[in-house]
Amino acid sequence: MDEMQELLEDFLIEAFEMIEEMDQDLVELENNPDDLELLNKIFRVAHTIKGSGSFLNFDKLTRLTHHMEAVLDRARKGELKITPEIMDVILESVDAMKAILEYIRDNGSDEAPEIDIEPIVEKLDAITKGKSVSQTENKSESSKKDNEKVGNINLDEITLDNIDEMDLDSLSPEELDKILDKLVEDVNSTPKEETQETEENKLENKEDISKQENEVSKVPQKSASKIPSKQAQKNALKKHITTTEQTIRVDVKRLDELMNLIGELVLAKNRLIKIYNDVEERYEGEKFLDELNQVVSSISIVTTDLQIAVMKTRMLPIGKVFNKFPRLVRDLSRELGKKVKLIIEGEETELDKSIIEEIGDPLVHMIRNSVDHGIESPEERIKKGKPETGTVWLRAYNEGNMIVIEIKDDGKGMDPEKLKEIAIKKGIITPTEAENMNDKEAFMLIFKPGFSTAEKVTNVSGRGVGMDVVKTNIEKLNGIIEVDSIPGKGTTFKLKIPLTLAIIQALLVASQEDLFAVPLSNVIETVRIVEEDIYTVEGKSVLKLRDEVLPLVNMADIFEIEKILEPEKYLYVVILGLGASKVGLIVDRFIGQEEIVIKSLGEFLKGIPGIAGATIRGDGRVTLIVDVGTLMKLAKKTHNKKIVTDSLNESKKKKEKPSDYTVMIVDDSAMDRKIMHQAIDELGVNIIEAKDGLEALNLLKQNDIDAMLIDIEMPRMDGYTLAQEIRKYNKYRKLPLIAVTSRATKSDRVRGVEVGMNEYITKPYTKEYLQNVVRRNLKL
Amino acid sequence: MGSLNDLIKQQQKMLNKPEEEEKTEEVEQLVGFIIGEEEFAVPILSIQEIIKPIEWTRVPFVPEYVLGVFNLRGTVLPLIDLRKKFNAPSAEIDENTRFIVMKIQNENVAFVIDRLTSAIRIPKKYIAPPPETYNNEEELISGVGRLEENRIITILNVDNLIKKEEIVPSKN
Repeated sequence: MDEMQELLEDFLIEAFEMIEEMDQDLVELENNPDDLELLNKIFRVAHTIKGSGSFLNFDKLTRLTHHMEAVLDRARKGELKITPEIMDVILESVDAMKAILEYIRDNGSDEAPEIDIEPIVEKLDAITKGKSVSQTENKSESSKKDNEKVGNINLDEITLDNIDEMDLDSLSPEELDKILDKLVEDVNSTPKEETQETEENKLENKEDISKQENEVSKVPQKSASKIPSKQAQKNALKKHITTTEQTIRVDVKRLDELMNLIGELVLAKNRLIKIYNDVEERYEGEKFLDELNQVVSSISIVTTDLQIAVMKTRMLPIGKVFNKFPRLVRDLSRELGKKVKLIIEGEETELDKSIIEEIGDPLVHMIRNSVDHGIESPEERIKKGKPETGTVWLRAYNEGNMIVIEIKDDGKGMDPEKLKEIAIKKGIITPTEAENMNDKEAFMLIFKPGFSTAEKVTNVSGRGVGMDVVKTNIEKLNGIIEVDSIPGKGTTFKLKIPLTLAIIQALLVASQEDLFAVPLSNVIETVRIVEEDIYTVEGKSVLKLRDEVLPLVNMADIFEIEKILEPEKYLYVVILGLGASKVGLIVDRFIGQEEIVIKSLGEFLKGIPGIAGATIRGDGRVTLIVDVGTLMKLAKKTHNKKIVTDSLNESKKKKEKPSDYTVMIVDDSAMDRKIMHQAIDELGVNIIEAKDGLEALNLLKQNDIDAMLIDIEMPRMDGYTLAQEIRKYNKYRKLPLIAVTSRATKSDRVRGVEVGMNEYITKPYTKEYLQNVVRRNLKL
Repeated sequence: MGSLNDLIKQQQKMLNKPEEEEKTEEVEQLVGFIIGEEEFAVPILSIQEIIKPIEWTRVPFVPEYVLGVFNLRGTVLPLIDLRKKFNAPSAEIDENTRFIVMKIQNENVAFVIDRLTSAIRIPKKYIAPPPETYNNEEELISGVGRLEENRIITILNVDNLIKKEEIVPSKN
């Protein structure tokens, strides 16, 4: 039973693959009805599905495909010309076949009560018979003859050469059923065996099938043992599997596991590179560094290659999705009475399987939209001086780590003013908002829920589903939509989608002291601005960037991060894009671009708004990955209630007189502390003392310190380590650290600079000198 | 040689002792630790491992007692401050501070504790249900154990220590 199940699965996978191709081929056939090669190919698909279907006892499927095959066979022999009307029937039968196959996939049988194939079969029969009655009569005559002759035929005489003389089509379904039942019985009683097949073998198998079918049709009453059907049937099934390509089917779960492992490897690689950089700094010029460098780079290259290789195993050509569109466009244009040509480019462009699965529906919707709303009727087009046949381009190409899918039409285009008008009428935007909108923003209105430009609801689009569903779907994939349109000339939609979802390129940014990874696929650009670039419109902060006006939000406000950093002259803004919307996000620092592996935060922390997961960085620390989708929503909320300039000033503290400042003295010698204390006291600033590095670090966290005087030789934690620790905190990045020490060699000073000391004073020093240094660092 | 024999005998005695004990009465094996002023304990089997503090990353929009997440050999684990959870005053991390990683509802979660005390074997008869006076609405405490020298330990109900809906409200 398991073997049957296995066969069934193989059959289904294969059948669906073939049907996908068939759809496209059929549409092409309509344009080139005389293409014999194409006809033969389509015929073979119907034939194959019929063969395997009958083997698996799918009577309904067999009956349908049998009749399809009959029509196709006649066309193939040149007895029938494929007209659009005939093509409609064929396509209808392909649809029915698909429906039955889907039913089989879901239920394991082809009963499919809601699919009635009889009307289709009748139509198909009418085509086969109706057009040339005489021939059909001939056929039935000949088949009668065949049946009479049955007992006399020597099976071994039948070869490839005389197959065409036999007429399978004349067999009644009942006869065929009987034959097939017998065959299935035979095969079921034989265990399946795996055999190695060569090209030669395959050819033979083909012969076998044809042979055996002929045999059976001629001699239904002959004993089964005489028919070499067992092996042939098996081979028939094997043939479908091996003829495709040199491929194996792998469970997606295994690939996912592999991807996880590669993820770990990428993390380890990042970490190795980081360690190497540290080592390089410390042991500059040492010989072993070269070797280490070689190892690190080769590991790094291999890891990257491995990652790409595994990613590629998960990739499928987007043609898999594109294939169904010629059919879609054909049906649509016939239905709408339009003439539309679909041009597909870049169908070999590859995408992750999980994305391929998600991208189909939005694309169907967008193409429908282009044909229905974009392309005008032929009369209208002629009136406008355009070619009668409209064109829709569907194009896919790579752009960095993204894939771009372009849907372009040469139809009537969109009028931004009209869009605004509708949006105002429907209450989606206010008239003031409309005024501030540029054309691009106006085009984006079509993605708003409740917006539908179709004045009349057609069967095709405008059923209230709308483009907002497209937007939601694309957002799910972290994609971006761009629209461009020229009234009268046409519209272009661009969907930009990340290639894969597991390992991504991210921009690392710091908001206050917290680091976040922003998926690079959603970063449109980064800009540096000054506070004067921020405008406040109706109580909301916006950034004017070239011809665009973007809402501006401080990331720290979104995540409710306490503001401890003093604002600097320049502000750093990440322009985020998702689906159809954009937002400017103020961060405190750009860290850089890095390849990150997405990890879950676990069951307890899953679902925190704005956070998609976490990644482990080269230094072993965890960095949160923002979820651009929910972040945009949060940003909108924050944008409505907080003016950015206010938020920036929150952390600004006013310091004017010396007594507003505090200086910390860190020295283990009470005597040295006293000397420094006396000198600095004269400046009028507050003073805090610490006996060693550890104490200093604790005091620093509890007090607001403006500068530190640090001795180097101290117990528990020395001055170098202290400086190093302090510099680890973003908020102390600019805190003046002044080394005061008797260690005066050049290497000591270099070490001091390395760990982040701003100044280096050697003992003994004059009181004035120390005062000057402190004053300079406090900017007093 | 004599001393070695003694040692072996002693060991055997120790090895045999628990068995004898268990035969007569059921024993609970716990790990004790200090948070604030109090000694707590959790069943030894619920503990995955005990580690020294590692740097963690803050996470937005969570209750204060969720300190954040950290990396334990490639897995991202949440870190819970039990002091904050029990409303005790917060303390600095020092050389005695430990993270206890426990399995809760099949997920590893780490908890900050002030210091470990000892592994505890306590006969079940010495464990009393939590006193009425305790504020035990969340059922954080499964019982109170009495040891020698007036040592009282509060035994925690590991599964109730954190709750998903408390950390990330399902909608906004």
